[in-house]
Amino acid sequence: MDTASPRLRMSVIGVVVVGCFAALFARLWYLQVMEAPQLEVQATANRTRTVAVEAPRGRILDRNGKVIVDNETSLVVTVDRNALRKLPKDQRDALVSKLAATFTDFGTPTKIETIERRLADQQYDDLQPVPVVNGISQDLMVYLSEHAEEFPTVGVERESVRKYNYGAYGANIVGYVGRITKETLEAVKDSPGVDPDGVAKEYQPDSTIGLAGVEAAYEKDLRGTPGTEVVEIDAKNRPVRTVSYQAPRPGSDVQLNIDIDLQVKAEDSLRQQLDATRGGSQKDNYGIRVKNAPAGAAVVLDPNSGAVLALATYPTYDPQDFVNGISDERYQQLLNTNGVSALIDRAITGVYAPGSTFKLVTASAALNNGLITGGTTYNDTGVFTVGGQDFRSTGKNGYIALPRALTVSSDVYFYWLGSRMDGTTDIQDTAARFGFDSTTGIDLPNESPGYVLTPADKKALHDKNPDAWPYSDWFTGDSVQLAIGQNAVAVTPIQLAGAYGALANGGTVYQPHVVARVLKPSSRTGIPLGSPDTADVLRVVDPVVRSQVDMPPGTRDPIVEGLSQVTHGGTAALAFTGFDQRAFPVVGKTGTAQVQGKADTSVFASYAPADQPQYAVAAVLEESGFGADAAAPVVRHVYEFLAGQAETGFKAVETGKQD
Amino acid sequence: MLPRTISRHDSNRSRRDPTAPLRHLDPTLLVCTLALAAIGVVAVYSATRGPGPNYVDSYLFRQFAFVVVGAGVMAVFAVVDYHKLHDWAWVFYGATTLLLFLVITPLGSQSKGAQAWFALGPFQLQPAEFAKLSLIGALAFLLSEFKGDIDLRRLVALLAIAAVPMALIMLQPDLGLVLILLTITLALLVVGGVPGKYLAVLAVVGVIGVVGVLNSPVLAKYQRDRLTAFIDPQNTSKEATYNVEQSQLAVASGKVTGHGLFQGPQTRLNYVPEQQTDFIFTAVAEQFGFLGGATVLLLYALVCYRLWRIAQIARDPFGSYVCIGVLAMFAFSVFENVGMAMGIMPVTGIPLLLLSSGGSSTITAFAAIGLVLNVHMRRFR
Repeated sequence: MDTASPRLRMSVIGVVVVGCFAALFARLWYLQVMEAPQLEVQATANRTRTVAVEAPRGRILDRNGKVIVDNETSLVVTVDRNALRKLPKDQRDALVSKLAATFTDFGTPTKIETIERRLADQQYDDLQPVPVVNGISQDLMVYLSEHAEEFPTVGVERESVRKYNYGAYGANIVGYVGRITKETLEAVKDSPGVDPDGVAKEYQPDSTIGLAGVEAAYEKDLRGTPGTEVVEIDAKNRPVRTVSYQAPRPGSDVQLNIDIDLQVKAEDSLRQQLDATRGGSQKDNYGIRVKNAPAGAAVVLDPNSGAVLALATYPTYDPQDFVNGISDERYQQLLNTNGVSALIDRAITGVYAPGSTFKLVTASAALNNGLITGGTTYNDTGVFTVGGQDFRSTGKNGYIALPRALTVSSDVYFYWLGSRMDGTTDIQDTAARFGFDSTTGIDLPNESPGYVLTPADKKALHDKNPDAWPYSDWFTGDSVQLAIGQNAVAVTPIQLAGAYGALANGGTVYQPHVVARVLKPSSRTGIPLGSPDTADVLRVVDPVVRSQVDMPPGTRDPIVEGLSQVTHGGTAALAFTGFDQRAFPVVGKTGTAQVQGKADTSVFASYAPADQPQYAVAAVLEESGFGADAAAPVVRHVYEFLAGQAETGFKAVETGKQD
Repeated sequence: MLPRTISRHDSNRSRRDPTAPLRHLDPTLLVCTLALAAIGVVAVYSATRGPGPNYVDSYLFRQFAFVVVGAGVMAVFAVVDYHKLHDWAWVFYGATTLLLFLVITPLGSQSKGAQAWFALGPFQLQPAEFAKLSLIGALAFLLSEFKGDIDLRRLVALLAIAAVPMALIMLQPDLGLVLILLTITLALLVVGGVPGKYLAVLAVVGVIGVVGVLNSPVLAKYQRDRLTAFIDPQNTSKEATYNVEQSQLAVASGKVTGHGLFQGPQTRLNYVPEQQTDFIFTAVAEQFGFLGGATVLLLYALVCYRLWRIAQIARDPFGSYVCIGVLAMFAFSVFENVGMAMGIMPVTGIPLLLLSSGGSSTITAFAAIGLVLNVHMRRFR
């Protein structure tokens, strides 16, 4: 003890210990009092996960309150990826191949790769079990639960999926749903719909979204409000308990203008007529061509509001195929159904030369600008010569005025009108007012605008693509062809029905609407559109006027006079033989549009009944011959249904007469 | 009737004798010790019962049993005159050294990367914990014999006595316990009268030897990590970071008043690894907040103060040295363990005496407190 006393040495120890405790107290104060708020946020995020619970979508009802698209519970086999990763590799592989074999045995053919792909899919929330196979049978669920020890990490969950009460009918209208893609998720992330209470319907990486038809167009209404479940998780990422749960709420129901029974009739008529037509032949000046009748469309509108009552297209698809995720194989089949795609709604997307149905536009233009009156006659000699070029038609009608020219579909009379309006854009302007050359604004996605070329359009097309459009100049011949709905014009069936609807109602072109109104979630079914009971109605889709065609009596009367006769003594007389037109007079026009090297496009556009128009109906059938051969019979069958008249059969018709 | 009279006389005398040991029991030290052990039982249960339902209570019962046994051991170590223990110091030292040797033979068993345990049925005996006490005994014995007169030869002898158990424990390996023994040795060398120049040299050698190598910027981080991982395989660097992060979040989560018993989310959901042993303080701090954490620290501070005070008032140097040794053991255990849980000390797995789950450490802590009570009780005779 040379340098310091024992007491001093103990004091040194004491000071060190005091220093240590002071440091601990200071640190404790710092962490729990000063830093706590910041660290608390970090700790909470660390411990809880918010899981979105998908809500059932709203239903889709027809105009009479019949449920077209409903929901049902589907059984989904899930695998807990976190737990699976902890299994040794050989056990994991064995489990996956055993699952594939079991699914296949129980009637859900499944490849090992399909399961592996789902398990590797980073789009799924890592915390939640990954769905590997959807829509399994009750038997399989029972089997899996009875053999649970053989299937570690495997579970069965229930999810709400679409149920289509009318099968494939109306598929092009209602559309289908599917899992949201990464790109779509990015796009819609910042603009989700809101439910009636103003709650945003946010999307998650595995959300379902409308991909076609009304499902897509009314996504913001149909999508339900996801619930949220805040789950507390432990250090091993296992859910421990639910901290809070907000139940999902179903989306709003949507009621269509579509009459599903009429829709069924229209689709059946279209399909049956195409079937009957297919394989026949068309003989005319241009030779003999086979009627392949691969596709077509039919539209029924309410001319007084633009309400779409039926919208048929062929070929079509079964939306049920999309319910549990469509296979690539099936999707490829749909893209190539007898050489054409079944996923295109030809009623709004298909563009066709309107043929003689376009004479409505030419006649209106000529009457409105005073070029002719209803009584102006012209000598139809069967040929019209302009600029040294002969334009021919089948048969000659002698001196005829406009009504007769429409009834018998005299091309020469309209060649003459077209040549006299050459140098103006009267026909194009009138066409635009009838609703051609632009999208109608129908509440369905992927609508085509069609086109009605002006001289300026033709030059622009030539400048852009000289191979397809070899001439930049507008010839009188172009005006002559345009007058009978050839070459320079292409329209969609919905535009055509809208134009004849305008003729029916005195000149108003409405924006067509498939959806009539949006109803409350879980609304009462069976309430038709006209009902005074509107308690469930959230929003009504009001008629929108697109454009107005000038239709003074001097214009409308001669046209209606001519078109009224088409189904009696005119071009469609044969197609309407036996149809009681005293009870239900039909005003219409046949059209036959030439397509290079193929049988003609058969077109018919109409409205009925003549005195108090309620329906505008148009049909277009590809490679099916004259308008009277195929399109007119489809329309007739629709009217049989609408007028409550006896149904007649379908047969191949070969009128042998153009137009 | 003489024997009766003597007997009565004896009993009367013992009741009145102002130097009777039981009259000088240190109530503060006893109460603080038992309070900490009780808090420990609750904290261990809260840290191990799991998120539920089906709470785990095996740790609760084990720790409770250890505390009961520990209290008994404390009584024994307090009642038997420490001067007798003084005579037995070398027997304890020898026995412990033998056990430390045996534990690294196949007789011992391995767990969490260290060969440190004897498996005794459902219990595991960790001889290194007892080595703390026997080293205190041996060094206190020697220092009291040297009576403050320490030359280089005696210093080497002291260091050798300390080095044997340290080397054996290093072979397990258990860095935390080695550090405790080092601290105990250092403290005893300071109070035992080792000349300042030697202490200075020892300090310089120690600082250069340990801190210098581990924290040298010459070594890349991964190399340092490898070094510490080699020394202490229980804590690889990534895990260590996670542990410390989670434990600090747990402490912070308690704020001023805490979440309440069984309500601390970090604790309940097992976010803090090894919480019932190395990170037991976080269970207290999260559930009872700053008030609870500070109370526990205060209890430890009181314990340390009493240990220090009893060292000063002890009757003889041996008693004094024992107290300082126990003080060093407690103070280091608290500072390193709590400091690590709050991120101001490096991660080394050592138990928080009296609070952490574990039989050997709990019983050793009680025994140590018993010794100090003993010294206090017999300071007049």
